[in-house]
Amino acid sequence: MEIPVFVEKFLDLVEEKVAKHELNEGKGKWGQNPEEDSSFLEAVNRISKLTSSLDGLRSDPNHAALISRIGGIQQRAMACLEDEFRFTLEDIKHNDQDPNTDAKGKQHEADRCVLPESESAETDNFLGYSDDAVSKLNRIAKEMIGGGFESECCHVYMMIRGHAFDECFAEIGFEKISIDEVQKMQWEALEREIPLWIKAVKEYASIYFVKELKLAEAVFSNYSSISSSLFSNLTRSVLIQLLNFAEAVAMTKRSAEKLFKFLDMYETLRDSLPAMGALFSEEYENELKTESTTARCRIGEAAICMFCDLENSIKSDTGKTPVPGGAVHPLTRYTMNYLKYAGEYIATLEQVFREHSKIERADSTSRPRYESESQNFNNDNDEENQSPFSNQLVRVMDLLDSNLEAKSKLYKDIALSCIFMMNNGRYIVQKIKGSTEIRQMMGDPWCRRKSSELRNYHKNYQRETWSKLLGCLGHEGLQVNGKVIKPVLKERFKSFNVLFDEIHKAQSSWVVSDEQLQSELRVSITAVVIPAYRSFMGRFSQYLTPGRQTEKYIKYQAEDLETYIDELFDGNSASGARKRP
Amino acid sequence: MPATEHQPSFLGRISIRRNQVTAMDGNHEQELEDLELFQRHIGDRFAELLSPPDNQDSPFSGESFLSISWLRKLVDVLLCCEAEFKAVLIMGRDPSQISKPPLDRSLSDYMERAVKVLDICNAVSGGVDSIRQCQKLAEIIVSALEQKPIGDGQVKRAKKALSALMSALAIDDKESNHPRYAERTWSFGRRGNNSGGNHKDRANHGSFRSLSMVVAKNWSAAKQIQAMCSNLAVPRGGESTGLVQPVYIMSNVMVFVMWALVAAIPCQERSGLLTHFQIPKQFGWAHSIIGMQEKIGEEWKKKEKKGSAGLLEEMQRMEKLGQSLIEFADGFQFPAEDEKAEEAAAQVAELAEICRRMEEGLLPLQQQIREVFHRIVRSRTEVLDLLDHGKVSQPII
Repeated sequence: MEIPVFVEKFLDLVEEKVAKHELNEGKGKWGQNPEEDSSFLEAVNRISKLTSSLDGLRSDPNHAALISRIGGIQQRAMACLEDEFRFTLEDIKHNDQDPNTDAKGKQHEADRCVLPESESAETDNFLGYSDDAVSKLNRIAKEMIGGGFESECCHVYMMIRGHAFDECFAEIGFEKISIDEVQKMQWEALEREIPLWIKAVKEYASIYFVKELKLAEAVFSNYSSISSSLFSNLTRSVLIQLLNFAEAVAMTKRSAEKLFKFLDMYETLRDSLPAMGALFSEEYENELKTESTTARCRIGEAAICMFCDLENSIKSDTGKTPVPGGAVHPLTRYTMNYLKYAGEYIATLEQVFREHSKIERADSTSRPRYESESQNFNNDNDEENQSPFSNQLVRVMDLLDSNLEAKSKLYKDIALSCIFMMNNGRYIVQKIKGSTEIRQMMGDPWCRRKSSELRNYHKNYQRETWSKLLGCLGHEGLQVNGKVIKPVLKERFKSFNVLFDEIHKAQSSWVVSDEQLQSELRVSITAVVIPAYRSFMGRFSQYLTPGRQTEKYIKYQAEDLETYIDELFDGNSASGARKRP
Repeated sequence: MPATEHQPSFLGRISIRRNQVTAMDGNHEQELEDLELFQRHIGDRFAELLSPPDNQDSPFSGESFLSISWLRKLVDVLLCCEAEFKAVLIMGRDPSQISKPPLDRSLSDYMERAVKVLDICNAVSGGVDSIRQCQKLAEIIVSALEQKPIGDGQVKRAKKALSALMSALAIDDKESNHPRYAERTWSFGRRGNNSGGNHKDRANHGSFRSLSMVVAKNWSAAKQIQAMCSNLAVPRGGESTGLVQPVYIMSNVMVFVMWALVAAIPCQERSGLLTHFQIPKQFGWAHSIIGMQEKIGEEWKKKEKKGSAGLLEEMQRMEKLGQSLIEFADGFQFPAEDEKAEEAAAQVAELAEICRRMEEGLLPLQQQIREVFHRIVRSRTEVLDLLDHGKVSQPII
């Protein structure tokens, strides 16, 4: 077979072009003369075609020199392309640069934009590459791959994009921390890393990965298997590193205070990652799905343990010192505020409990009751109010109740222990009513039961404190044969005064900080005491000699009593020495 | 693989027996027997790794010491040992037995080691990624030089990839921590000087994804190995017959496998890797491990002087082939002498074969390492649950 003479001529021409380009190499001269660039790419294309058309002549020694020459020129041309490819890839415009000047600067070279997405240059479509740059990369990639230099092209792409991808970590401010280090970190420090991690996951999932894929697809258009494998290789390790942080955090010592940050992480993994799956080829998608599900499970399982740990903190709170004045116990405050906060995460908590409760969970001290249900949590026929989380919640409330009941026994004064129960019960009900989610979960029957319990404590209190006092105002035994016995009457007044003073002294130091409850109590006391006193006075005060006797025995007018009653439950020890409970 | 065949029957046996024996301390003899079996299995598995029974002794069968497939077996052995360890330690056991001293102490040390294993797994997995980069470079060399006849263009193309490959293979992990050095050695065929400093800065990172940041800044594989060994004390007296013994053995297995992986695969910061790890010679199960450790240690000493990315058989062969091919390329004149061309062709074929093995083996190896990661996380959680549980002293049924 003959090779036409013009081939040599053609080669001379190409060689000249290549030599010219080699001079410019790496100086960003491309784009200054678009026609020249195109004609160079065209020349490379022809060389590649020539090479493959001569395949059949490779073993023919007559043409060896020619083929070798072609190979040499092709190699030089490809090296130019590779350098230009690298240069263009490295030339990332960062977001902080003004995109307008950037766009204008490039405008005069932009008449050759062949990309379909020639959107406004102000939006950063390609991670800091202009549409022109992407178009250039695309044309170079096409020639390199067509000429059999795919490996070089992909290698350069991987290296540069890989590094740029890593730099995103730094941009977000998320620093890689070893798992070992995470275990040793103070929670306060680790807690600060978590929002950064969340930001990183969200931004990678919603921005970087999407754009990276778009870039790969734009540069390697028509080579979908190349773009997809480059993209997968680039992102896989980043994603695994992000997931490793979640694993590391899930491994840290569990404590109730961490719960909400864990739930934040759980939500991030749940919401951000699934959408990403579609970006990957099936092979990677499966792997990443498994990885992210695993990480999510670990976080979820840890969250369950932490929430269940609330039970342990309640159980282990067995202090023997009663709260002064029967006020709300710190444990009640802690538990209820925790639950209120949990209410904000209720949907997530429900999901976590439903999906990640382990049947064989070992810590039997806080083993939830729902275990039988969770065995078949895939069946959707679980009733709404049978959700494992609401069961756990009810369990916590019950535990708190019985713990408070035990604490109320620490008060020697039954009336005070009633006040204590009322205070705490009131606090609990208010907190639960304050959180719609928790309120719904606890249900109306629970609220009704709680209210009736509170009413009972109120009644008990009334009986304990005030029935004795009212006893002094009874009419029985004061009259014999229609005649009032004055010494008995005097005694009655005396003991009423003493008793009332005692009560006032003691109970004005008691604490009812809920205003409504406080006023309810006062009103109900007034309603019982004042009419009885008035009627007693109306009936019997006339039997005391006005003046000295009246002054001595009638210490209070009804209005005085009202004033004193209004001083009760102020937590105020000024009106007398604080009575030891 | 024989190692895995043991496993189901072994686990089955233990669980059946545990179910039969209800008395807690009544099965002391069986426990001793379990322990002995555990030790024997470990000894057997590693013995097989040290000298495979059907070794053809062919120069490069692909199964040789520190090859990818050998490492995969090594990781497999770790997984088997771990499963058996867990069976011995916790299966059907009452948690209160586990949370008693001295076992609780030695288990919590074990857990700390396990955490370090996780980081090493990640670092090694990153190292596998960087081996894959070598593979890509080698593939360029192959595709350039397998053309016939070889012309100047092909040789130039190969040379470019060769020099990048050689510097990638010769990288010393310690120095790779310095970005400047990384720039110099890992850079791939960038000729001439480039324009403005701005671009240069970015070009620094261009060519090889550096190893240094896979885990974290300042993280060191050698230091982690050292830390894993630091409190690894031989059980004494009564401990040596109890469950402290398998914890000790498993710790050694874990440390050894991690150590071998770190030696074989490029890994962040390995200086002084050799000095940290000593297994006492008196244990039967340890003989093969010590044998392998010595073998790897010798290799390491040889390589440490030169500075090498890792002892992985395929990388070492790649390096040798790369050296000869560089000689070939440097002395190349068109047309090549037949003899030299044939010699080069054989080397290229071998390089192609290595690439093929990498293509086949690296991903599965990486997946196995990930499996180790997940397995260890899981076991750690289970054991911690048991420890917590044991403290409350309520049995799980």
